[in-house]
Amino acid sequence: MSDVIPPTLDERGRSKVADVDRSLYDFKMSEEGYERYADGLTPDIVRAISGKKGEPAWMLELRLKALDVYHRRDMAPNWGPDISGLDLDHISTYVSAGAAQARDWDDVPTDIKDTFERLGIPEAERKSLAGVGAQYDSEIVYHNMREEVAKSGVVYTTIEDALRDPQWEGVVRAYFGKLIPMDDHKFAALHYAVWSGGSFVFVPAGVRVDYPLQSYFRLNASGAGQFEHTLIIVEEGADLHFIEGCSAPKYYEANLHAGAVELYVKDGARLRYSTIENWSKNMYNLNTKRATVGADAKMEWVSGSFGSHVSYLYPTTILAGANSTCEFTGITFAGAGQDLDTGCKVVLGGANTAASVDTKSISKDGGVNTFRSAVVVGRRADHARASVSCQSLMLDDISRSDTIPAMDVRNNTAAVGHEASIGRISNDTILYLMSRGCSEQEARSMVVNGFANPVSKELPLEYAVEMNNLIKLEMEGAIG
Amino acid sequence: MDAGSCTTLEHVNVPPAQTWNYLKINEATLRMPTPPAKGEVTSRLPRLFCAVEDGIGEAATRWVEDSAGDARYIEVPRHTRREEPILVEVDADEGQVADTGVLVREGAEATVALVSHATGDGRTHSANLVRIICERGARLTVNEVVALGNTHTHLEGLGIQVGEDATVTLRQYALGGHQVALGMAVDLVGDRSRLELETRYFANGEELLDVNHVVRQRGRDTRADLHAHGLLDDAAQKTLRETIDLVHGASRSKGNESETVLVVGEGVTNKTLPVILCDEDDVQGNHGASIGSVGADQLAYLAARGLSEEAAFALFARAVFDDAMIHAAVSEARAAALARATEVLGADVARDLSEALELGQDSPAERDDATC
Repeated sequence: MSDVIPPTLDERGRSKVADVDRSLYDFKMSEEGYERYADGLTPDIVRAISGKKGEPAWMLELRLKALDVYHRRDMAPNWGPDISGLDLDHISTYVSAGAAQARDWDDVPTDIKDTFERLGIPEAERKSLAGVGAQYDSEIVYHNMREEVAKSGVVYTTIEDALRDPQWEGVVRAYFGKLIPMDDHKFAALHYAVWSGGSFVFVPAGVRVDYPLQSYFRLNASGAGQFEHTLIIVEEGADLHFIEGCSAPKYYEANLHAGAVELYVKDGARLRYSTIENWSKNMYNLNTKRATVGADAKMEWVSGSFGSHVSYLYPTTILAGANSTCEFTGITFAGAGQDLDTGCKVVLGGANTAASVDTKSISKDGGVNTFRSAVVVGRRADHARASVSCQSLMLDDISRSDTIPAMDVRNNTAAVGHEASIGRISNDTILYLMSRGCSEQEARSMVVNGFANPVSKELPLEYAVEMNNLIKLEMEGAIG
Repeated sequence: MDAGSCTTLEHVNVPPAQTWNYLKINEATLRMPTPPAKGEVTSRLPRLFCAVEDGIGEAATRWVEDSAGDARYIEVPRHTRREEPILVEVDADEGQVADTGVLVREGAEATVALVSHATGDGRTHSANLVRIICERGARLTVNEVVALGNTHTHLEGLGIQVGEDATVTLRQYALGGHQVALGMAVDLVGDRSRLELETRYFANGEELLDVNHVVRQRGRDTRADLHAHGLLDDAAQKTLRETIDLVHGASRSKGNESETVLVVGEGVTNKTLPVILCDEDDVQGNHGASIGSVGADQLAYLAARGLSEEAAFALFARAVFDDAMIHAAVSEARAAALARATEVLGADVARDLSEALELGQDSPAERDDATC
């Protein structure tokens, strides 16, 4: 990253870190003429969403069953950040601009196209992406993939389109909702009741997609929810990098994001799933992501959580096949008014499986960070190895940072290591660097930059301009 | 206590911050005898002990208070050094339940020994609850030994409130029991207060060991060092929750926790929940955990020196009992550890341990003689 702006110091000598500049994302378009379903959650609304999409009967049945589970299921009383400000009776679960899905940006309605232009998506597509899906509120408004990628047999479309295609409807039915069951938790059930939009990706065996695919989710409507479903199947020996970005303008009423991501990484395959989440500070981000990984396969998560008012986000990896591996690299930045409960879960089920988790978090201006993880080593996971590292930086005394890592080991040949540290920038470190000729400000800048760098370098900056913008704002304007 | 009618104690050993319930790591549940009806009870510990958190939770604390015959209160006067350790002994074979309060006054120095032991094979239920207030400048050493057989269910709580400039050195040994719930909470409320905790545990067979350590660092410039080492064999199940809570205002405080677990048995379940809660920026909190078995390279090294894998593991197990006996503050603690070692490691090893200890005890005197 260039043009590093060093942080300033406050009266107690702390590195003063600027707020994330959200002006790039905080713009609104009129909802005039949009189709918006009534607030709340009823069987009629669920039927209306299903009918709108012309789905097969089994999907409507699944939705209604999920609605029932949602109403019956309670939230665990001892769970994370408070979400009492979220009232589903005042959330619309379906909002659509009524635009037909386009394959050319010129066919996208002007205001929506302008939104994605400002977010840099078309430019990123031209420069470095193999395909792009853009969702605006509840529906995908743009979807396209490079011809040469399509020719290799890669399918990148919406779940709705896949369901309408006789070739893929059976595949969706076989995989949809199997990895994340609807009774997983209350908001998983909600998701299945009202899901809309998202992506279906199928990479045939042995195919390597050289450039990433990217889906971008924009929630423009106020008091609405976004419930996209992402289903990715990477067949044996195939390779894919998928990027997910999301943002929303800020409103004074609560918005909800309860998406679901199901990833199937077959034997010998590799999937890298990168996410930059920059929801506005009125957003409840209660997202569920899960991957199952076959023998000799590899799952890589890169996760940046910068926005939202409250987050529950714990991507889960099930290392089912022997010799499968998982890497999770994450950074979370919590500022004023944010309570972000993030982390990951890894289940090591196969022999010789390996997992590596490396996370960083920064708390400032009263922001609350909670790192939460679970590493579970099963009875049959002979010689499994897992290491978890979690580092948290506190930038003032009104913020908070907690780490809650759980380990459950049931195999006597496995090795699990964990390390965590919380603190502020050490005066000794600053003194050491100053004794080597750095000014105090340079030293502090170097330490903060170095703290975030191991994670930020993993972010796919070269692939998405939107992410470039965000990380620049975070790492340059903010962290140094 | 005899298990006449039973009651289920839920929410035992609940840590301040919890995680996914499906992991079944957030709390323990114990079936204990229903406390006898005692009518109006007035002889309780002084009210100031009510404010001392003990790690086992409210329901379990109430159960001990209701089940114990009487509460025992000991006070160590200010600026005195109590030579003989305060012994709090629970004979689990008899199903005893003890409720004890210790007040270590300003500048005083004392040692408290908690010994819960059993050698019989009766299905008994016992408990030991000790709450300690350690005033400004006091020095407290605690030696805690739980050495029971695989038919005994035991609940043990320890709460310590630590005042300004006071220090607590605690060695905790969990050496066996059918189901043992061991809670501990230390409140470093005074500035510059200190805690050093060394925990050693051993569990085998189908034993269940559930440990909850909570350390609140409230005062400024406090220190907490928690280190746990353990060995699990057969189908033993162990849960260790360790929480360091760096409370707002605890500036310049440091908290460290670490755990090393040697997993030997094929049926072992090891659960660890090391938590750091941080509401202050001018602090340091660190955690490290290592869970696994002896590496192939290390075993090869030992084999080259004539030690089989079994012999190597036996040595590791012996080390836990060795440590308990070496650091025993009272003969009752040493006897309890030795009795359990005899049961687990065999009479020959136990005799060897005992002889080595006697030899070691002679050493300082011999050294003194040599100096003279």
